[in-house]
Amino acid sequence: MKRTAPIVFGFVVGMIMFLQYFIPHAPFTTAYSLVLDWKQVVFGMTLILGIVSLVRHHGTKVQRREKDWAYSVVVLLGFAVMAIAPIVQRTTEGGIYGWMFDHVQAPMQATMFALLAFYVASASYRAFRARSVQAALLLLAGITVMLGRVPIGEMMAIHVAGHEFSLATLSSWILDVPNMAAKRGILIGVGLGVTATALKILLGIERTYLGRSA
Amino acid sequence: MDRFLAFLERLMSIDRRWLYLAVAIAVAVPVLRPIGLPVKVSNETRDFFAQLEALHEGDVILFSFDYEADTNAELDPMSRVIWDYCFSRGIRIVALTLYPGGVGIAENIMNEAAEKYGKEYGVDYVFLGFNADWSGTMLRMGESFRLTYPAEQYGKATTEIPLLDDADKYADVPLLVSIASSSYAEYWAIWAGGKFGQKIVTGNTAVQAVLVYPYYQAGQILGFLGGLKGAAELETLTDLPGDATRGMDSQSTGHGLMVLFILLGNLAYLAQKIRQRRAV
Amino acid sequence: MEGFGIWVGALLTLAIFSFLYRENPIYRFAEHLFVGVSAGYYLVQYCFSALYKKLWVPVVDNGQWLLLGGGVLGALMLFRFHRRTEWISRFAIAFYVAAWSGYVIPSILKAQVLTQVRSTILMPWNTPGLTWWDHLSAALILIGTVSILIYFYFSHEHRGPLKAVSQVGITFLMIGFGASFGYTIMGRITLLIGRFQYLFYDWLKLGSS
Repeated sequence: MKRTAPIVFGFVVGMIMFLQYFIPHAPFTTAYSLVLDWKQVVFGMTLILGIVSLVRHHGTKVQRREKDWAYSVVVLLGFAVMAIAPIVQRTTEGGIYGWMFDHVQAPMQATMFALLAFYVASASYRAFRARSVQAALLLLAGITVMLGRVPIGEMMAIHVAGHEFSLATLSSWILDVPNMAAKRGILIGVGLGVTATALKILLGIERTYLGRSA
Repeated sequence: MDRFLAFLERLMSIDRRWLYLAVAIAVAVPVLRPIGLPVKVSNETRDFFAQLEALHEGDVILFSFDYEADTNAELDPMSRVIWDYCFSRGIRIVALTLYPGGVGIAENIMNEAAEKYGKEYGVDYVFLGFNADWSGTMLRMGESFRLTYPAEQYGKATTEIPLLDDADKYADVPLLVSIASSSYAEYWAIWAGGKFGQKIVTGNTAVQAVLVYPYYQAGQILGFLGGLKGAAELETLTDLPGDATRGMDSQSTGHGLMVLFILLGNLAYLAQKIRQRRAV
Repeated sequence: MEGFGIWVGALLTLAIFSFLYRENPIYRFAEHLFVGVSAGYYLVQYCFSALYKKLWVPVVDNGQWLLLGGGVLGALMLFRFHRRTEWISRFAIAFYVAAWSGYVIPSILKAQVLTQVRSTILMPWNTPGLTWWDHLSAALILIGTVSILIYFYFSHEHRGPLKAVSQVGITFLMIGFGASFGYTIMGRITLLIGRFQYLFYDWLKLGSS
């Protein structure tokens, strides 16, 4: 019951969604629309689980005065302000909620990711070595694309017998041809993999997503 | 020669913070003192622009802000130039986001453009807002925008939004623009394009752009902008220069420095190999 | 208020950047503030979207009672917090994952497999006015795609011709990864440009904004 019933329930829902693709008529389309609407609500509710875990974790840290508990107070305060502000101001637009997003959350989120520019520079310096022919190919393609897609590289060109050979053209060709073939190969492989996994889920062969003891 | 090889080897043990400083200088100086290097337009951007250009006054397009603040440096310039271009030509926009953090980003871009061109909310544009479950949203919108979003971002019933009288499903909008930091752009092509035949153009982060080529070549995505360079190219085509064009000089110096780092690193590696061979 | 906000944003930006020198209390304060504020922001957006826009408005305002089913299923997720009744939440998870599986099979097969295969095969012949160079490129795309698929074929040991073809596949993959690397550098540099534009133009009012 605890394991089979959810799988059977899932199978019925999954089959409705599968069949409507081939039979776009009622009652399949009606059920399909309803499932899509329900799905949006269920997905929204999943975040609540994550938030409860986060608040629990930091709340316990503060309660027990664990190491660095003061930082957990910062997490909880930041959370409380953002969660309560829209209720007080009765909108999600502007006010403290909007101000905190524009001037606290957004600049920090952008900066966190901007740090990657420094790390990738350090990695380029220390790790990217042409240790084999294939590694050298990777580096050459990388350098060509890197230079060929910015204005300074676009100006690099030579003229041979009336023809212009530019880094920009070479870079475009790499992206359009070998890169495209590589990404397409991966894409088709992933597509087949996703299809196989979805089929296994539908048939109840793959059930790890239900939890440990399922 | 030996001393030179030893010097190259020593370069490898340089403190990482010196590298960071070099990156900061290479990127910051052109931000302060731009040179104004010319921007060449790629085929992908030309095709993207052709789709925008083909729109007529009064057309309604669907615009999805599929990104958050982490990639706003790359994608905000794209959104900004598209909104400016559409509003300047009297094209109306139904906007949404599939990221919760996209709400604040979208509001800033929309408000700025609406104020600049004197556009009215609900008539010239509307913000349906964030909807959890991206794939469900993309599929449901093929049937009805109003049923997918019973209320817009600020809680007003979508039945009261006049703009949606003219645009309530994909079939009513000639173009869908997704500015995305993730594979959402490709999923628009799979769900909205594959199932409903929606015409799609996308703006992607540089990291994501390389993955769009198969969709572009297959005609599932009709044109796309790749990273800040793509945004700068669109700014050039629309003659609306902005942050992307201004950022191109820093992009050039930054890339130049990275190439230098790779070359230096490989030279040091070579030096190390030569010295090891000599020692044997 | 806007000017003060930019000061706050700039100082927090510098606080995050301070991590590049070494980890320090200012960075950790900013990091934790970011986590808390983001969690609050997301909670509001998710609740407003799922509970108000997709549940309250259609059910209470529009009388679409069937949509209550989504709310019930969503509520089942909360059973995950109770060890003995945790299994009830499986209905919600099974619903979500199976529904996705159901519609993903035909859609992905069509868009990510069949359309891609079709474009790979037809490209050299279905476009008029192609030059010999275009034909060569199209042939390379075909060779690259097929050889990569063979490289990913693990049911047979890669020996003899299979090994040779998969080596071609690896070569294409390496060039593809190189292109990804080049574009990744572009993306990372852009993110830094964005922060400098913010600090110099918006905060310090230097240069052109």
